[in-house]
Amino acid sequence: MFSFIFQRLFQAGLVVIAMSVLVFCGVFAVGNPIDVLISPDATQEIRAQVIARYGLDLPLWQQYLQFASRLLHGDFGTSFIYGMPVGSLILSRLPATLELTIFAVLLASCIGIPLGVYAGYKPQSPAARIIMGASILGFSVPTFWFGLMLIMVFAVQCGCMPAGGRGDTVSLFGVEWSFLTANGMKHLLLPAINLALFKLSMMIRLARAGTREIMLSDTVKFARAAGLSERTILTRHVMKLISIPLVTVFGLEFGSTLAFAVVTETIFSWPGLGKLIIDSITSLDRPVMVAYLMLVALLFIIINLSVDLVYALLDPRLRKGRA
Amino acid sequence: MTNASSPWRDFFVEFSRNRVALAAGIVTLLIVVVALAAPLIAPQDPYDLARLALRDARRAPGFVGSGGYVHLLGTDSQGRDLLSAILYGLRISLQIGAISGAVAFTVGALVGTSAAYIGGRVESLLMRIVDLQLSFPAILLAFVIAAILGQGRYQLILALIFAQYAYFARTAHGAASAERQKDYVEAALSVPLKARRVVLRHILPNSLPPLIVVATVQVASAISLEATLSFLGVGLPPTEPSLGMLIANGFQYLLSGRYWISIYPGIALIIFIVSLNLVGDQIRDQLNPRLQK
Amino acid sequence: MMAKAAEMTTPLLQVSDLKTYFHTSRGVMKAVDGVSFSLAPGEVMGLVGESGSGKSITGFSIIGLIDQPGRIESGSSIRLEGREIVGLPADQLRAIRGKTISMVFQDPMMTLNPVLSIETQIRLALEAHEKVSAAEARKRAIAALAQVRIPDPEQKVDFYPHQFSGGMRQRVAIAIALLHKPRLVIADEPTTALDVSVQAEILAEMKELVKEIGTALIWISHDLATVASIADHVAVMKTGRIVEAGPTMDVLLKPQHPYTRGLLDALPSRSEPGALLARNSGDSEPDPAPPPRREAAAKAPARADVPYFAIDGVSKQFRRNTGLVHALGEKIGLARPVPVVNAVDKVSLTLSRGDALGLVGESGSGKSTLGRMAAGIYVPTAGTVRLQGEQVMSSGRSARKITTRIQTIFQDPFASLDPRMHIGDCISEGPLAHGLVKRAQAGEYVRQWLAAVGLDPAFAGRYPHQFSGGQRQRVAIARALAMQPDIVVCDEPVASLDVSIQAQIINLLIRLRQELNLTLIFISHDLSVVRHLCDRVAIMYRGRIVEAGETADIYDNPKDDYTRRLLAAVPVLPQAAEEAVL
Repeated sequence: MFSFIFQRLFQAGLVVIAMSVLVFCGVFAVGNPIDVLISPDATQEIRAQVIARYGLDLPLWQQYLQFASRLLHGDFGTSFIYGMPVGSLILSRLPATLELTIFAVLLASCIGIPLGVYAGYKPQSPAARIIMGASILGFSVPTFWFGLMLIMVFAVQCGCMPAGGRGDTVSLFGVEWSFLTANGMKHLLLPAINLALFKLSMMIRLARAGTREIMLSDTVKFARAAGLSERTILTRHVMKLISIPLVTVFGLEFGSTLAFAVVTETIFSWPGLGKLIIDSITSLDRPVMVAYLMLVALLFIIINLSVDLVYALLDPRLRKGRA
Repeated sequence: MTNASSPWRDFFVEFSRNRVALAAGIVTLLIVVVALAAPLIAPQDPYDLARLALRDARRAPGFVGSGGYVHLLGTDSQGRDLLSAILYGLRISLQIGAISGAVAFTVGALVGTSAAYIGGRVESLLMRIVDLQLSFPAILLAFVIAAILGQGRYQLILALIFAQYAYFARTAHGAASAERQKDYVEAALSVPLKARRVVLRHILPNSLPPLIVVATVQVASAISLEATLSFLGVGLPPTEPSLGMLIANGFQYLLSGRYWISIYPGIALIIFIVSLNLVGDQIRDQLNPRLQK
Repeated sequence: MMAKAAEMTTPLLQVSDLKTYFHTSRGVMKAVDGVSFSLAPGEVMGLVGESGSGKSITGFSIIGLIDQPGRIESGSSIRLEGREIVGLPADQLRAIRGKTISMVFQDPMMTLNPVLSIETQIRLALEAHEKVSAAEARKRAIAALAQVRIPDPEQKVDFYPHQFSGGMRQRVAIAIALLHKPRLVIADEPTTALDVSVQAEILAEMKELVKEIGTALIWISHDLATVASIADHVAVMKTGRIVEAGPTMDVLLKPQHPYTRGLLDALPSRSEPGALLARNSGDSEPDPAPPPRREAAAKAPARADVPYFAIDGVSKQFRRNTGLVHALGEKIGLARPVPVVNAVDKVSLTLSRGDALGLVGESGSGKSTLGRMAAGIYVPTAGTVRLQGEQVMSSGRSARKITTRIQTIFQDPFASLDPRMHIGDCISEGPLAHGLVKRAQAGEYVRQWLAAVGLDPAFAGRYPHQFSGGQRQRVAIARALAMQPDIVVCDEPVASLDVSIQAQIINLLIRLRQELNLTLIFISHDLSVVRHLCDRVAIMYRGRIVEAGETADIYDNPKDDYTRRLLAAVPVLPQAAEEAVL
C-alpha cells in the first residue's frame, strides 16, 4: 500500500514536470517569448528591459529553470486584457467553474447510475430500450447545440428560465456561490443540465455495460442459488462490483467535464474559467493560457491521484495482499 | 456450416439482423455519399462569395431567392443557401473526421500493437504516455494546439489526431496483449515464423474488431469536436462554413425567431453522429463474447 | 394419516419428463429432452455425460435457474418432497433455493464475489432465509468454515476470495451451500477446475459432509472415476436424455447401453499401455499416410557422444512488470523489489530418439513453462536446450528459435488456431515460410495432411469456428506435423476434450508417432493418459523434477513422497472388482 502511494506521488511529480516542459516549449519556445510576456504595443525600452529581466538571452534550459521557479512562486505574469496578475484573475474565476462542474457531475451520476443499472438489469424491457435510445441521443448531441436548444425552449419560448449569467450569489469562506440562493440555483440549473447531458449518457452506458456483464457472471448465479433476493443481489453484489470501475470513470469524467465547461460557459455567459480561456485564446492573452494549462494539469493530477487512492480503498485485491 | 461462411460474412449477417443498426448504417453511407457529391448536387457553391446576395440573407425556408431556385431550408445571415451550406459543411466534417480518424487509427494501432509485442520497459513507457494523454480531454488538447499553432484546418486535424490516437493505442494495446497471450500466437512463434509476420498476419488482424468500434466512436466525436471548436471560434477560420460555424452564426438570430439557421445544421450534424454511434454500438455488442449466445 | 404414510414413500426429488429447451433465433436447442429420475433422501446420485449432454442444464433446471432464452417446457415435472416446483412464482422458488436445494458450481474462481469478505458473503446467504444478528452471523460463518475444514476459521472469515487458493474457495462455496442444511445439494463439476490432490480432499470431505448433514447430493461430472468414488447411483446422459441409470457398480461393471460401454472403453486407464483405445466402437478405417518427408531436411548425422535431445540446467524466472517508475524506485531503494517467481528451477532431462516422455505435475508445477522452453517458445533464464548438440535457440539478447525440428501441440484447440485464417493456410503457412513445400504444391500438401489426421481434405477452405473441438485438435496436430519435426511437444493436448474424443486423439498420436518415428514430450496432469502414451515419465513439483524414470517403475513403485501422494489422489474406477467378478 505504501509503495503504491509512493509510486503514484512519484508519477504525479513527473507529470507536473512534463507538463511544465510542454507548456514552456509550446508557448514560450515556439512563439516569440517577448510576445508572451508583454503587450504588443509596448515601447522598445520596455522590451529590452523585459529581455534582461527574464533572461531571454540565456540558454534554453536556464530559461526553463527560471520559468519553473516563477511558476513555483505563483508568478504567472500579467494579463494583457485585464491588466491584473493572472494568478489572482484565475483564482477569482475558479469557484464559478467548480460549482458548475461539480453540480453537473453529481447530476449525471445520481441520475445516470441508477438508470444504467436498471437498463443492464432488465436489458430487454421497454424502459431499458428507451433509456438506451435516449442515451445514444444524449451521447451524440453536441453539448453546444443542446445548450442552444435549452435556451430556445426554456428561456426564449416559455421564458421560465434565465438565459445566462450567475444570478445572485452568497459569500461563503470568502468565495461567491450561486447554489445557495434560489435565484442563483435557477441560473445554475440550465447550464448544469447542459453540461451533464453527455456525462449522464456516458454514465448510463457504463453502468449498463457493467451491470449486464455482472448479471451474467457466476457470482450472481451462485448468489441466486443461495436464495438471495434480487434486491440484495443488486444492492450488495452488483453495486459493490460496479462501484470500482465507476469511481475511476467518475474521476476521469470530472476532469473532462471541467474542460467541457468551456462550451457551456460560453453559451450561458457563465463567468467562469472557460469563458476566460476562450477569450484569452481569441485575444492571444498568452499569460492567461499558460496559467490555465498549468492549473488544469494540476487539477487533473490531483483528481487522478484521489481516484487511485479511492480505487485502492474499494478494491480488496489492491488493499490486501495474498495470504 | 457452408464454405461461404467466413468471420466477416457472418458478422455482416448478424449486423443486419438489428434493424436500427442497419438503418443507421445505411444513413451513414447516404450522408457520406451526399457529402462527397456536394459540389454536384448542392444548388449553390457557398464558398463562391460573388454568388451571394445580401438581400437573400436570413430568408425562411421555401423562399425563392435571386438565384431563381427555392431555398428549401432557408438562407443564412450572408445569404447562403442553407441546404448547400449544410452539404458542404458535412463534407468538411467528414473530411476532418475521416482524415484525423484514419491517421489516429494508424498511429494508435502501430503504437499499441508494437508496445504489446515488444513488452517490457518500452511498453510501460509508451502506455504511460498514452494513459496520461487519455486523462487529458480532447477539447483541452485542441485548445493547446490552437493556442500554439493558431487556427486552421490542418492545425485542427493535428489537434484531433493528437487527442485521439491515444484511444486507438490503448485499445490496440489491450487487444494485442490479449491476442499475444493466446496459443495461436505462441503456435506461430514456435514454428518459428518471423516476428513481423506474426504481428502483421496474426496479431493485428485479430485486434482489428475492437479498433473498428473505437474508430466509429472517434470519428463521431471528432466531427462533434470540430463543430464545437468552430462554434467557439477556435476551430476552422470563418472562411470555411463548417456546421459548427453555421450554428454559431445562427445563434444570435435564434433569439429573434429565425430558428432555421441554427436548427437545420444542428439536425444534420446530430443525424450523422447518431448514425455513426448506433453503428459502433451494434458492432460493440456483437464483439462482446460474453453477450454472445 | 394417509398423507403421512404417503410422505414416507415419497422420494425427496421426483423428476419426470423434464424438457428444457433454448429458443434462439437460430432454432430450438433441446438441451434437456425428457429426463426422468428420482432421488431418495440422503442418496448420492452421479449425473455423467460429455459436454453438451445436458447434465448441467438438468441441475440448473432443478434449482430453477434457467436463463433466457431457456425455458422448462410444459409437461415437465419436478417434485420436491412431493411438491411441484416447476412453474412456482419467483419468490417461492427463491425461498427453496439455498434453503432446501443448494448448488456448488464448477469454477470457484468465478463464483465468489471478489470485493466482499467471506463473512459478508456468508452473512448475506444466511439473511436470505433467516433473521440473524451481526454477532450471530459471524459465529455461524466461523462455524460454517470450520465445518468444511478451513483452518483458523476465526481469521479466515475476514479474508477476501483472492486470499484463498482454488481448493479453499471451493470449500467456502460448499460452506455457503450447506449453510441451511439443505435436503439436496447439486454439485456441478465441483472438482473439475481443481488439481488432483485437491480434488481428492474435496471428494472425501464432501462424502463425509453429506453423511453428517443427511443431505442428498446430485454430483454432475464428466469424469466416471470421481462419480464412482462418491455416488450410490449413476445416470448417464447423452444429447439431453438419460441413456442408462442404476446403481454405480452395476453401470460401471455391467454397462448395458453401447454409449456407456463406449465411454468406459475410451478411458486409457482401462486399456493396455500403448494400445489403441475404444477399438470396439470400430467405425474407423485407417487414415491415409501423411505426405513423405523432404529428405534434405531430415537427419543430421547421429553423433554418439551427445544425447539426442538434452535439456540442461534450465531455469525460468518470471517477474511482474511494474513499470518504469517502480524500477527506478527499486534502484534508489525506495520501492520494494518485485518478488521473482521461479517457474522452472534448474531442470535437466535427456531424451533418446523415439522416446515418449511424460511430464506430469499439478497446476503451477512449471511443466508447461518447461515444455515451452523445450519447444523454443520461451527463452530460458539460464541453461540450454540442445537437439543433437545444436542449440534450439540462438543466444544473446534477442534470442529466438532457430530450428523447425521441434514443434508444439497446444491444449486448447479453440485458442491455438488463428480464428481469421482458413485452416489450409494455417497448416501451410509454416512449411511455406521455411521452404518445406513449394507454393504450387501447398494445396496438395495440405490436403494430404488433412487426410492423414482423419479430416476431409475438402475442409481446407474452412475457418476454425466451423469445427468441433476434436476436429480442431486434429488440425492443430496437422499444423505441427506438417513442419516435419523430429520432436513434438504436446501441452495437455487432450485435457479440454471429452473422453471419447480424447480417445480418438490419443489413438491418432499413437499412430502418427509410430509412422513418423517421432520423439514426444507429453505434458499432462492426467496420470492415466501419461501411463498409456509414454514409456518414460518425469514428475514435476514447484518447478523441479522430483522423480523421473520408466513409466511402469514410477507408477508401481514411486520413491518420492509427492509422487506417492499424487498417485494416491487419482480416483480409480472399480476395475479390480470387475476382474474378480469375471
